[in-house]
Amino acid sequence: MRVLRLHPEKCTGCLRCELACSYEQTGAFQPAKSVIRVSPFEGHTSYAPYTCTQCAEGWCMTACPVGAITINAAGAKDVLDDTCVGCKLCTIACPYGTMFYDPATRKAFKCNLCGGAPACAEACPTAAITYEETATADWLGDFARERTARVLTGVS
Amino acid sequence: MATRHLIIGGGTAGINAIRTIREEEREHSEITLVSAEPPYSRMVLPYYLDRSIAESHVFTATARVLAGWGVKTHLGRRAAALDPKAGTCTLDDGTAVPYDDCLIATGSSPVRAPVPGADGPRVHSFWTLDEARGVLAGIARGSHVVMVGAGFIAFTILNSILSLGARLTIVEMEPRILPRMIDGTGAGLVEAWLETHGVAIRTGARLARIEDAKGRKRLRFAAGGDLTCDLVIMATGIKTNLDWLKGSGVSVNRGVVVDDRLRSSADNVYAAGDVAEGRDLISGEPAVHAIEPTAQEHGRIAGANMAGRDVRYRGSLIINIVEVCHLDVASFGAWDDPKAEAASGVRADRPAYRKLLWRGDRLTGAIILGPSGDIWTTNDVGMLKGLVQSGAPLGAWKAHLKKNPFDVKLAFIASGITKALLPETILGRPAKAPGDTPVAV
Ligand SMILES: Cc1cc2nc3c(=O)[nH]c(=O)nc-3n(C[C@H](O)[C@H](O)[C@H](O)COP(=O)(O)OP(=O)(O)OC[C@H]3O[C@@H](n4cnc5c(N)ncnc54)[C@H](O)[C@@H]3O)c2cc1C
Ligand code: SF4
Ligand code: SF4
Repeated sequence: MRVLRLHPEKCTGCLRCELACSYEQTGAFQPAKSVIRVSPFEGHTSYAPYTCTQCAEGWCMTACPVGAITINAAGAKDVLDDTCVGCKLCTIACPYGTMFYDPATRKAFKCNLCGGAPACAEACPTAAITYEETATADWLGDFARERTARVLTGVS
Repeated sequence: MATRHLIIGGGTAGINAIRTIREEEREHSEITLVSAEPPYSRMVLPYYLDRSIAESHVFTATARVLAGWGVKTHLGRRAAALDPKAGTCTLDDGTAVPYDDCLIATGSSPVRAPVPGADGPRVHSFWTLDEARGVLAGIARGSHVVMVGAGFIAFTILNSILSLGARLTIVEMEPRILPRMIDGTGAGLVEAWLETHGVAIRTGARLARIEDAKGRKRLRFAAGGDLTCDLVIMATGIKTNLDWLKGSGVSVNRGVVVDDRLRSSADNVYAAGDVAEGRDLISGEPAVHAIEPTAQEHGRIAGANMAGRDVRYRGSLIINIVEVCHLDVASFGAWDDPKAEAASGVRADRPAYRKLLWRGDRLTGAIILGPSGDIWTTNDVGMLKGLVQSGAPLGAWKAHLKKNPFDVKLAFIASGITKALLPETILGRPAKAPGDTPVAV
């Protein structure tokens, strides 16, 4: 299956992915609704995007008491709005912290790979997000470990 | 002859087991379901109560779906006795159902405070669909509702009661609310939050009796003034549905004792969900975890093993989340472990509280409180679950998190928790979507 591959060393923190994501998902430019989120590292000298891994277990999907999370044609775990009751069980079940909840609509939402044409990958000017046929992986761990050494030793 | 599987109880655990049997079996088997109630999810009842969904939305498998899965049903019938030696289950109408293997998934039932008047009119439990119908019919705009008990289940219906336009008073025997879900500091914050949202709370209140008072209800207490209201909800605890197993020879403790394949002490008898006492992931000790995710995981593991696979269960993790008046309240794992090393933090500018508990450099429990609109609250809820579930050693990140309990994401990403978790699945293979259960041929 094709997944979002993240290349943190290429991310400049321009946040275009967040804008593109929210626009594709909600029809408005509102980064607060983006399901890909850019984090700063080392006092904003480097950045990395973070989103759902489309993990094999799909803890969000198996936890949902009403079967509101399914697998779409792109292979992504996807929330069916009409079925979701807003109980939040998926938000606590996903161990990666990549479920979201909208208090206005009382629905959960998440990355659904835009049904097979992810807007974030298209919007990223530095190809820090690519949509590739590869196994999902921990794209950020090593990068983050390096960039946080100083936070941990208290030097920064 | 096809294997005959018998599922006793069609709640969360039972239905997950049936779906998994159909997903895993090599040869089509016979599945029979005996259930006192039709299959539905109890935890969806709060959304039926606030009228945001229709009653039909609570069902997890309709008669048509069950027929599609090739399941024979005895709905509205109770299992009354089990004879594992003979391989039969006797129902309350005397029918004997033979089986090759069976799953005990009879869940739990609500318990009312043992006071005079507890069974009177307009005093309800909130556990079954029938009870939810009764409560919905009994609440009108402006009604005064008294909730007896301030535990997790009471809190799951708090928003619904308020959204129906009722006034709510919560009374709790313990000196604080949510005594089995969060610590005293968290409870204090939630209590203050609810009071600013118009909910009256009386803790340390021992209910003595419930009387009728001119068409209304009057609650009398061991000390302190009476309360008069229109409807009483008793959320005073639950007990596992084990009584019918007397004489069966199946070992029970607080629940049906099961091993890491969800097998009971009796041959070919499995147990899952609220009724089972399985392994706690954190302590490794036997425990009854009466929560939805445990029922789902138990049901799937039991179903896979009944279908002929050999799947071990790693143990279940207590995770609870509830939203009250736009405040998220969640706890994980061993949040009340007195031997753990703990660190906590409160935000002065908004209702936010964190407590992290450690054994060595592993996170073994956590409590989190925060506004439900905060993205970082929602995301940290998941990451805290991941930290506890993975049991990964956090090394130097432990000191960082102890100092900065609000900086979960950095610690999560940099300590490679994603890498540790990605290979983990419950059944040793990718999960199937809910609609992908194979239908009978
Ligand atoms: C209002 C409410 C809100 C909740 N909210 C949450 C939540 O937010 N998060 C969470 O994790 N959990 C929540 N829960 C708890 C969750 O619903 C239970 O843990 C879960 O339903 C357990 O599943 P189970 O299959 O073990 O039992 P159940 O779902 O209770 O199913 C048991 C089935 O067995 C049947 N049965 C009982 N005795 C017999 C018998 N002798 N013969 C045949 N059938 C029998 C019952 O009728 C029922 O169909 C909530 C519960 C309630 C009531
Ligand atoms: S939201 Fe979380 S649990 Fe669901 S597929 Fe993505 S990573 Fe897995
Ligand atoms: S919030 Fe919606 S999608 Fe998530 S578990 Fe509840 S019903 Fe399912």
